[in-house]
Amino acid sequence: MNKQFYQEFNRLVYRETLANGLQVQLLPMAGFNKTYAIMTTNFGSIDNHFIPYQATEPVQVPDGVAHFLEHKLFEKEDHDAFDLFGKLGADSNAFTSFTQTSYLFSTTSRLKENLAILLDFVQDPYFTIQTVQKEQGIIGQEIQMYDDDPNWRLYLGMLGNLYPHDPMHIDIAGTVDSISQITPAILMTCYQTFYQPSNMSLLVAGNLEPAAVMEWVKENQAQKQFAAQVPPRRLFELHDPSGQDVIPFRSLTMNVSRPKIMVGLRGIKQFPVGRDRLRYKLAIDLLLDMLFDDTSDNYLRLYDQGVIDDSFGYNLDMARSFYFAYFSTNTDQLERFADEVMAILENADQELDRAADRFNGIKRAELGRLIGLLDSPEALGNRYGGDLFDHANLMDEIKTLQAIELTDLHSAAHDFINPQGMSVYQIVPHHQ
Amino acid sequence: MHYRLADGVNLEVISSSKFKLNQILINFATPQTVSNATSRHLLANLLETSTNKYPTQTALATQLAKQYGTDISVGVSRLGQLHCVRLKASFVNDQLAQTDLFNQAVTMIKEVLFNPLATAGQFDGPTFDRQATNLKATIKGYYDDKQFWAARRLLDLYYQDGAVMQVPSFGRAQEVDQLTPASVYQAYQDMLSNDRVDILFLGDTAEQVVKDAFTSLPFTGRTRTSLPIMYQQAGYRQVQRQVDYRPVSQAKLNVAYQLPTCQDKQQYYTSLVFNDLFGGSPYSKLYLNIREKASLAYYASSRLLPFNGLLTIQAGVNSVTAHRVEKMIGEQLVAIQQGQFTDDQLTEVKRGLINQYRSGNDLAGSILGRRLTNRLLNFPDHDGAELIAAVTKDQVVQVAKTLTKQAVYLLSGEI
Repeated sequence: MNKQFYQEFNRLVYRETLANGLQVQLLPMAGFNKTYAIMTTNFGSIDNHFIPYQATEPVQVPDGVAHFLEHKLFEKEDHDAFDLFGKLGADSNAFTSFTQTSYLFSTTSRLKENLAILLDFVQDPYFTIQTVQKEQGIIGQEIQMYDDDPNWRLYLGMLGNLYPHDPMHIDIAGTVDSISQITPAILMTCYQTFYQPSNMSLLVAGNLEPAAVMEWVKENQAQKQFAAQVPPRRLFELHDPSGQDVIPFRSLTMNVSRPKIMVGLRGIKQFPVGRDRLRYKLAIDLLLDMLFDDTSDNYLRLYDQGVIDDSFGYNLDMARSFYFAYFSTNTDQLERFADEVMAILENADQELDRAADRFNGIKRAELGRLIGLLDSPEALGNRYGGDLFDHANLMDEIKTLQAIELTDLHSAAHDFINPQGMSVYQIVPHHQ
Repeated sequence: MHYRLADGVNLEVISSSKFKLNQILINFATPQTVSNATSRHLLANLLETSTNKYPTQTALATQLAKQYGTDISVGVSRLGQLHCVRLKASFVNDQLAQTDLFNQAVTMIKEVLFNPLATAGQFDGPTFDRQATNLKATIKGYYDDKQFWAARRLLDLYYQDGAVMQVPSFGRAQEVDQLTPASVYQAYQDMLSNDRVDILFLGDTAEQVVKDAFTSLPFTGRTRTSLPIMYQQAGYRQVQRQVDYRPVSQAKLNVAYQLPTCQDKQQYYTSLVFNDLFGGSPYSKLYLNIREKASLAYYASSRLLPFNGLLTIQAGVNSVTAHRVEKMIGEQLVAIQQGQFTDDQLTEVKRGLINQYRSGNDLAGSILGRRLTNRLLNFPDHDGAELIAAVTKDQVVQVAKTLTKQAVYLLSGEI
């Protein structure tokens, strides 16, 4: 068990890769009652084209299968894993993103039993025709509910603009039609390919005794048989890595009180090394703050002119093999918003020069925000990016951020901002 | 440790070195009236936007960024019929920041509360206009969320006409136009001089330093020291019903039940346990029977408003099965009234609540929020986990028997 002390934060981190390939990271937090554990597989909604475990021919699986599998994994022949956590008073949940599926619980008592439940239900698949059919009804409802949510429609609409021919533009949950094609055999194929321990990680944060927890996990794994580990063979490739396929504009009419708009920017350049990628991501985060945060002249000007209001927000989403930034607001000045955001991005160099004296404040604010996350076991668990950032945890992230300088922002702007990658999606009320 | 800084001005210092961030909560409380919620919401937004010394949002935000992103926000909320303006501040502890961030934070709080961007009894005109426009848009925007919309429509239906509770704590969009820079300034002065004030600090700063810093804030004595919180209204003899038709793909069914307000801490935790068993948790009767077993809803849950004498249920359903779901909700309540739940189910729900309670002790904001609620309600400090553990099956049945159905609202798809 590898131990690392982060003196600045007075925190210890323990890491070990088990014999079966499972990567374990333990982050004890003194004085906390709660323990949070999250087990993640590198399998998400975009992983729909791959060569199955021990097969030779590629398969294309229905959209939404990763999310469907997440739901189904809880259900066993004679019980539901969710209820096992519930009986112990623990909270449990799961979520699926474009590239990952995570299973988690939080508890303030009986950690060993809860950990065993987590490891056992994730590593013991049980799929039948009956349970698959029932789930098709439940997830169908879930998809419909999201259809009524204008903010989700805005986000998904933007993905459709940025990646029109890639699986990212499809709802993570799939469609009512696609999930109707899912069968127990398809679920099992995905499970065998992507739920191998060597494609997974376990992170435990909060109230815990490291040596004991590591021992429990090892004991649990030693009792199970695992087939030979084979790295998943994904056939994912961007339809057009140069981003020429970005759709510049689309509009949707919906039942909303005010128009909503999003400007998106698709990143093209790829960074093969995890820590470089992390540094690049943090530099873009700061770059966007410099250009758009509430200390910027741009923000004040647009706010005072009613182009944006308190609903304005922006973010950078980064996952395995793709990343993009988006800027959204509710506004009556749709064109003006789009023009302003794109002009600011295109003039990033000059904007950075003009705002140079704000760099230290912005960096300090971001440091403060990340330091605040150290108070949350969930944040420690959820921010862990695994392979994407070469297994950096939150403390590594803070240290990386500390080293970023203004010149890094200039390079990040050069690497990231390209007019070809920009796009606009809007939602307007029926009466307009 | 508790201090009285002046009549109706309280300070509570909770020392802890557990957190990397220190937290301050300042609560201004007054009984809600039919007209004060909108104006106090706009006031809260004006206060957090700018001050005399930092006259733009940007200037204020730039200063706070330099202080390691010290976060100061002002918002509104409600406890029973008490309307609260709450200032919350959080900032990196002095040891990690390696500078005196605590005193810097208190200086900024003083600036925000006592030196707003106003002259001659009026808030700055352009700032006022912008914030008024935004508040109107924000309130209207809430209603884009159809779940929220349906929940509000149920409350309109449940609360009697003219009752202050019909006005949401965040106010009404149509009332914003009646406000002026002078009228909101009056609301500001009324709040500063007359509201009950509770200041709470949680962190690793020396107690005397904390006390000295807050004693230096220019609060004077006031008469609103103890305020009525509980709201209860006479029950309807007939269930109030309303259906609206809108183009939604999923119908929203909302039901209101009346029950007695929670007068003491044991009754409060007993009601919580009942609520979690009925619909407040994923192990509840509503969730298990309506969503899981019958697959009739994507969500089906209950929410307890313990000091409003109200429990609401919300379910996402198909328009055609709404009636069946309403009937099932009633059946689940009858089952609890008849004691049709096992000791295991009760234990499970209690364990879940105890887990939540203990987890709350890992969140600075939640520790302060609980402490404040206890102070306002005159509840002694206590270990909620113990009180949850002490709840019996019979007590839960008794709570269930006090519920009476009062209102049903359905937001239906266009059939």
